[in-house]
Amino acid sequence: MKTLSPDVLVVGGGLAGAVAALAARAAGASVVLVRRAPGATALSGGAIGVAPDLDALPSDGLMGRRSPLESARRLASRRPDHPYALLGVAALEEALGFAGAELSAVLEPADGRPRFLAHVSGAVAECALCQRSQAAGDLRRVRGAVAVVGFANHLAFDARLVAAGVARRITSGGPEALAVEVAWPLDPADGALRPVELARALEGPGAAEALGSALREALPRKVAVALLPPVLGLDPAARVVERVAEAAGVPVAELVSDPPSVPGLRLDAALLLRLAQAGVEVVHGDVLAGATPGRPVQVALHGEAGVPLARAGADEAGAAGAGTELVPAAALLEITARALVLATGRFIGGGIVRRGVLLEPLLGLPVQASESGAAGVRLATRPAATLTVRERRAAQPLLAAGLKVDGSCRPLGEDGMPVHYRLFAAGALIGGHEHAADGTGLGVGILSGFLAGRGAAGSRG
Amino acid sequence: MGYDVIILGGGVNGLGTARDCAQRGLRVLLLEKGDLASGASGGNSGMIHGGPRYMLTDPAVTRLACQDSGYIQRIAPHLLFRIPFLLPFTSARERASLYERAVHYATEVFFSTYDRFQPLKHGKPSVRLSAGELYRLEPGLRPGLHGAVTFDEWGIDPHRLCVLNALAARAHGAEVRTWTEAREVVRQEGRVTGVRWLDALTGETGVARAPVVFNATGAWSPALAARSGATVRMRPGKGVHLVLDRRLSDYAVVCSAVDGRQMFAYPHEDETWIGTTDDDCWGDPDDLEATHDEVTYLMDGAASLLPAVRSARVTRAFWALRTSLHAYGPNEDGLSREHELVDHAGQGAAGLLSLVGGKLASYRAQSEEATDRILALLGRPGLACRTHQVPLPGGEALPDVAALAARFGVAAPLAARVAYRHGALAEEVLRLCDEDPRLRLVLCRDSGLLAAEVVHCVRHELVRRLRDLRTRCRLAVAGCGGLDCARLAAQLAGRELGWSASHVRAELADLLEVGWRERRAVLDGDQLAQEELLRGAHWGVGR
Repeated sequence: MKTLSPDVLVVGGGLAGAVAALAARAAGASVVLVRRAPGATALSGGAIGVAPDLDALPSDGLMGRRSPLESARRLASRRPDHPYALLGVAALEEALGFAGAELSAVLEPADGRPRFLAHVSGAVAECALCQRSQAAGDLRRVRGAVAVVGFANHLAFDARLVAAGVARRITSGGPEALAVEVAWPLDPADGALRPVELARALEGPGAAEALGSALREALPRKVAVALLPPVLGLDPAARVVERVAEAAGVPVAELVSDPPSVPGLRLDAALLLRLAQAGVEVVHGDVLAGATPGRPVQVALHGEAGVPLARAGADEAGAAGAGTELVPAAALLEITARALVLATGRFIGGGIVRRGVLLEPLLGLPVQASESGAAGVRLATRPAATLTVRERRAAQPLLAAGLKVDGSCRPLGEDGMPVHYRLFAAGALIGGHEHAADGTGLGVGILSGFLAGRGAAGSRG
Repeated sequence: MGYDVIILGGGVNGLGTARDCAQRGLRVLLLEKGDLASGASGGNSGMIHGGPRYMLTDPAVTRLACQDSGYIQRIAPHLLFRIPFLLPFTSARERASLYERAVHYATEVFFSTYDRFQPLKHGKPSVRLSAGELYRLEPGLRPGLHGAVTFDEWGIDPHRLCVLNALAARAHGAEVRTWTEAREVVRQEGRVTGVRWLDALTGETGVARAPVVFNATGAWSPALAARSGATVRMRPGKGVHLVLDRRLSDYAVVCSAVDGRQMFAYPHEDETWIGTTDDDCWGDPDDLEATHDEVTYLMDGAASLLPAVRSARVTRAFWALRTSLHAYGPNEDGLSREHELVDHAGQGAAGLLSLVGGKLASYRAQSEEATDRILALLGRPGLACRTHQVPLPGGEALPDVAALAARFGVAAPLAARVAYRHGALAEEVLRLCDEDPRLRLVLCRDSGLLAAEVVHCVRHELVRRLRDLRTRCRLAVAGCGGLDCARLAAQLAGRELGWSASHVRAELADLLEVGWRERRAVLDGDQLAQEELLRGAHWGVGR
């Protein structure tokens, strides 16, 4: 069996895990990151929300909105269970700067001001960091009219709907918005293609230029920026955004996506690329249960295309009788690291599961944090329906369930003490916030990843 | 504007009666306060079953249900699919007590009696299976069973059955108004003269005139009658079903719940349904949800024979209030499934008829009886009933799925979904793809939903709200919960119906709200990841 002995082992390769690995690496540690599959980061809209300005009134202008840091500070003072409250936001600025610099291949540098980006549904997302492909669409910065562009032969993107959503912000100082339809520049039968297929098609020679030329024809002169469906190439190296903009003669930007999200996949791919450049060894596989810092951790390796080379010992479904199948040694890797960072996500990533009760399956850490206030150790066993509220849009304690951590991202046991001094948690695994829906998910990922990675590197001994 | 009859309630009985009345030449107005089939007509087991349970106490109910099941197969053949049942024996004949032997024997005799009804509904005769045969057919059953008896039933999409009756009624001249509530039955000198209505979407109000009003509002009927000075008595019973994201078995399995009640875990289209509970329920029929207790009861009952339900993904629960004839004394299972037409002439409301009780499988016969009564009240001997002979829209012939798929260039599973729901009209639906190639877009890969079908339903199937598409073409009800399809369908419906952008957003929020209510009580296992994904995808809806 192959073995590795890095200083730090990170489990989970979404934004939180990647930032943790990069932060540990930057602090001089040797790092191995084990990753199972694309997770919530790859499914995200591709822009990075840190904290929405909850105190802003609808009548407040976009220009006068609070900075993401100030909004995070206010949020922390108001939501005592939120990771920003537990971890403090003192390091948030540094963490965002770090993540922005590490991922500068896809991310636009932050300038401390919030960005307002239109979403494919017509809503407007408030973000701290965004991708380069999205930057020109910041409604705070546009000078002139915005054209929301749809493809005349594809029904998935409704320019009229988005333009109306953007236009709602005019009273807050947002730009004038109009809807424009252009013909899809490739095969007219592509109307049935999925977003990823559209993105791949635009990467091909001449496609982006053809789209840009069609835009040049279709856009009225007053248009300062064209907002396009979020399908402008998967690979930043294909320079689809730049090529379209050049041919169109105006800046273009992608809308924020819903899943399946091309910008999310692009961000995910950028993480992997940066990890490799930074010298983090990325292992594709499943960590078998029972990982403890300082003790050997077994990883069942994945082969090509993410298929496990052998079934892991514990069957995921927990079917009776299964689980005794042995994993051949060639498909196993043994990693012994002094410090361990768990960044396994929430339900999408499988960091938290519920099978009648809420569990953290890897180490059996107690799931005791939510936003309900009435959380505590009883949280895990309460019926699901008692942890939800009727109003869909309200905060749902069940979906905010996760680990409780101390100020250094160390998970707490039921006794309220850290489980292990060299065990850290980062990202959506930490409870107390609903990462998919409250606009703070990726911000928490960056802050907790940064703190956990630095903490893990610092505890090298 | 005068009508001959105003029918209240867009469930299967109201719609079936509207179809029958319109076919027999009456001028009909039907008012439904929500969408079609939004009560017990939609939230039931999805079976046109013969009701073997009632054979000993109410043989007439069983005979009628079996006979009408045969008629439904004739008028809507595309909508039915066979669901073979297994009733497993949990104890061995050899070592069984006298009582258990008696149960085995009685069960076999029972089903051979039921077999006598089967030809009426083209069912196959029951078969006694050995343990070996049982496990070969259904290896997922828990070990230790000693054989089974089979019997045969028919599954159906109950929503589509209602929609087709609405379309047929309309085709014969009836006016069908959804999202229009009957506020009050108007009376004059002891006779009904019409109905005061309110359009819930536009706020428009009015009074429609007719000498006869048929109250088929199911669980809402006591309250409606009371508002009009009449009385309807019933025992409303809440029935909850759970839905698993895939077929776990090929056979329906008759399970015994923790309290000894019979319940089923069965394949329904591409899902597994588990149901039902049956509890007296006196709550507001507009404000029901499944509870943790009901979910636990059903999961435990199903897992007692099919342990795999524990690791399956429960995607939602649905519920409805069935109405049974009022009786003081019997527990819920002991209530009759007979139906009754109540004439309110004695309560100062001559011309008002209310329906209580009945079964989905017998809806057509119940509607025929109601229509006969309505004609009698009108003093008009009408034409003979033909609802058992004239096909429902699309029921004229079964389409050739492979030919459709090839001709319109869509994947065969997608064509099959369209053919199931639309029968002979599938060609009309798919032809939209030729007229507008963009409509080949697959909105939901989970339940195989084409943009063309959404557009067809919006244009032709009485769709006024986005959520109406849940029952027309299963929008956002499959395991995906609307992840891919909700926004796209909202956009399409908005274009077709001329909705403003804010109207589209409001309808989308409403659709998601309904789905959330159905999932709240069942969130567990893999469904939580889906829920998280859904909430992320739709974070902007309602902002």
